[in-house]
Amino acid sequence: MSRPRALENIRVVDFSWVRAGPWATRWLGALGAEIIKIEWPENERGRLPSTTTPQDLEVNLNTSGNFNDTNVNKKSLSLNVRSAKGLEIVKRLIAISDIVIENFSSRVLQRWGLGYEEQRKIKPDIVYVSMSGYGHTGRHHHYTTFGPVAQAVSGLTYLSGLPDQPPAGWGWSYMDDTGGMYGAMCALTGLYHRNMTGEGQHIDLSQMVSSVPLNGPALLDLTVNGRGSRRAGFPPGNRAHWPGTPLVHNYRGPIVAPHNAYRTDPCDYNDWCVIVCHSDEEWQRLVQVMGAPSWAASAKFATLAGRLAHQEELDERIEAWTTTLGKYELTERCQAAGVRALPVQSAEDRVEHDPQLRHREMYLAIEHPALGLHKVQNAPFKLSETPASNHLPSPLIGQHTREIVEGLLGYSHEELRLGFADGTFWPTQRARFPYLEEMLQ
Amino acid sequence: MKDSQGQPLPGPLAGLRILELADETGQFCGKLLGDLGAEIVKIEPPGGEPNRHVGPFLDDIPHPERSLSFWYYNTSKRGITLNLETVDGRRLFGRLAATSDVILETFRPGFLASIGLGYEVLRKENPGLIMCALTPFGQTGPWRDYLSSDLLHMAAGGEMASSGYDESDLPIAPGGGNSWHTGCHFAHMAIMAALVYRTIAGQGQYIDASIHEACALTTEAAIANYIYRGEVVRRQTGRHHAPGPTPRTQFRAKDGNYVCALVAGRLNPRYIGELADLLDTNGMAGDLRDPKYQDPAVILANTSHIIDDLVAGFIASLPSEEVYHAAQERGFTWGAVRAPEALLDDPHLKDRGFWKEVEHKELGRSFLYPGEAAIYSRSPWRISKRAPLIGEHNTEIFCDELGLSPSELSVLAENAVI
Repeated sequence: MSRPRALENIRVVDFSWVRAGPWATRWLGALGAEIIKIEWPENERGRLPSTTTPQDLEVNLNTSGNFNDTNVNKKSLSLNVRSAKGLEIVKRLIAISDIVIENFSSRVLQRWGLGYEEQRKIKPDIVYVSMSGYGHTGRHHHYTTFGPVAQAVSGLTYLSGLPDQPPAGWGWSYMDDTGGMYGAMCALTGLYHRNMTGEGQHIDLSQMVSSVPLNGPALLDLTVNGRGSRRAGFPPGNRAHWPGTPLVHNYRGPIVAPHNAYRTDPCDYNDWCVIVCHSDEEWQRLVQVMGAPSWAASAKFATLAGRLAHQEELDERIEAWTTTLGKYELTERCQAAGVRALPVQSAEDRVEHDPQLRHREMYLAIEHPALGLHKVQNAPFKLSETPASNHLPSPLIGQHTREIVEGLLGYSHEELRLGFADGTFWPTQRARFPYLEEMLQ
Repeated sequence: MKDSQGQPLPGPLAGLRILELADETGQFCGKLLGDLGAEIVKIEPPGGEPNRHVGPFLDDIPHPERSLSFWYYNTSKRGITLNLETVDGRRLFGRLAATSDVILETFRPGFLASIGLGYEVLRKENPGLIMCALTPFGQTGPWRDYLSSDLLHMAAGGEMASSGYDESDLPIAPGGGNSWHTGCHFAHMAIMAALVYRTIAGQGQYIDASIHEACALTTEAAIANYIYRGEVVRRQTGRHHAPGPTPRTQFRAKDGNYVCALVAGRLNPRYIGELADLLDTNGMAGDLRDPKYQDPAVILANTSHIIDDLVAGFIASLPSEEVYHAAQERGFTWGAVRAPEALLDDPHLKDRGFWKEVEHKELGRSFLYPGEAAIYSRSPWRISKRAPLIGEHNTEIFCDELGLSPSELSVLAENAVI
């Protein structure tokens, strides 16, 4: 017997595109909700442009690897929502759904005649999560974001880097990943509230605003102590404190040394290990792992204050040792002795070499009709009764149009054919994929 | 937000009782749930959680009641002290667990079971109980007992392999404690899924959540680049990782601050016209209005000139905030790279009622706290109270709610149970 699913019988109308919105609905899908992704090939954003299509495949709407990973567990309805007929179909779909999610600019759904007030008329207890850049409320609601802009404006980018250097920032759209998480969290919270009270609501999530609370301690240092973050020695790179600057907090954790990334053998691009000692005792354990070299016996390194005062020399000495070992061997030796150390891991390292992720089955392969068999990222939590799982590959564009239009909404096959002929389900001038032709047989 | 009787509407999680046994790795999850209206009882060891010693501190004076980090991550919680290593402590915990909806715990794997407080024991009294164990690596596997820290998770999770500078191969771990945030976001999601399921099935469940896995999931397309194309991405200053070098997106403005301007990849004749209009607002359009830019091939050949001379020159001619607003008002997805202090006066955040005044009665002062990520139209987010003092609600919970007498409470205190 198959396991029950947490979101059994929950249906989501998913207008989202690019990354943050689809990352939200991916998880609702993994938890068992039926995700109906509404797409239109002419203005699709997420499948194209693709920089993750395997080298041996043609780049088209169905061959983006990143789209596949971001959109597992969903069905695709190809629909021109900007047509009267398309809008009518969407309304019939909302009437039998629980959640509507979109990450358009702030006024798009209203312009389509699908704002929250309209949705309520169709489905009084609908949970509507809008995931716009700046939210639907506030004077800058019309501003737009991608992850990097939300990160910049909210202060997240500034917290990453070396002092007296430009911000290093985040090497990806952290706030598309995290914004997606908030989208899923808001939808689940709204759903819980609906199940308890019978009431739906509009949840106005903003990518930029949701980034700000992630700077909490830095912001309290400002509002309580009046201290800003533009100051000497901040941000301190990978260290907890930058040598030669006032001992002010770093907002990451305890002010300790060693606390840094060190090169490891063979000193290629991603051959680094991080080592952190939270106490004098942990430092003494590290000294033993290093083989108790004479330099480490120096009194100046015996105390936290001494290690902070001589951090440059400390880091040089430690690195002279770390470069003699590979990052995994170093990790094992340190951790076996109770020293905090882990390798810097590239994507290849995580997928191929990380024994913990392998044990926890983080990457399991699923078959995709155009891409073939590839590993997909799994949930980082295991629910004992209703496990999350990737049960569907990402949909081909429009793959489930017939299933939804005829099977779910009860239109006739003739109406489906008519909708393809009049540009409701596929642009009339655009070549149809073979599976769409088959759908019309 | 008020109901028809003029009463404030409850938050979406009102009515839930959650026990939090969480250190720095999990306290944010309790805050997320508490600010949404759940009643959180934070259980600390006698003397308080060690992370009360994490700075910054009020007026820079280290003290367990003055940690701003602790303040921030523990809003909307009541606090009690309880020593689970004692028989009395375990008995009292069992009574609390019997009437709770969720337990969030961050002990090392197996610890609660080893003292007789594992999920299988607790659920017997309370089949609807949801228990979420949030740990660095999960409850199983070769690394399950490894030690960690925020920096360690940023390394192993892949965040560092994606972040750094063009000129150097030093990986940089973004700051702010975001590995804890990431673990807590996923734990919050898992708890909510279990709560939704419970509204239908009536049954609780156990959740084994891993911070390492949460971080390993949070590097956007890095994994897809490898899985589908075998590519390992390289670090680029202030912008996306990529398999090879990419044009820059971070530019120094006149005030010395930076602007994030996403230009490359968008260059086409129409965009050039709009860019010329923007740059012209400060007389900096250069040759952008030359008809030659109607030819996409010419644009491509001049990408570096457009970005490194014209866009960079325009941004260098104005303060970062002016560039940000001028660009956004014209539809450009650009932003000022702000330090957190710039947010306090942000009018958009003010319009959304973002900053919340939180009273610290014992200090006779109130402070502004960051507010909500999302506005809930029928069940508002709010900070119900500042972080608890050590054992602040011992009497309220042990005496008023569990029915202990004041003298029993003093005996527990003398025996270091609370």
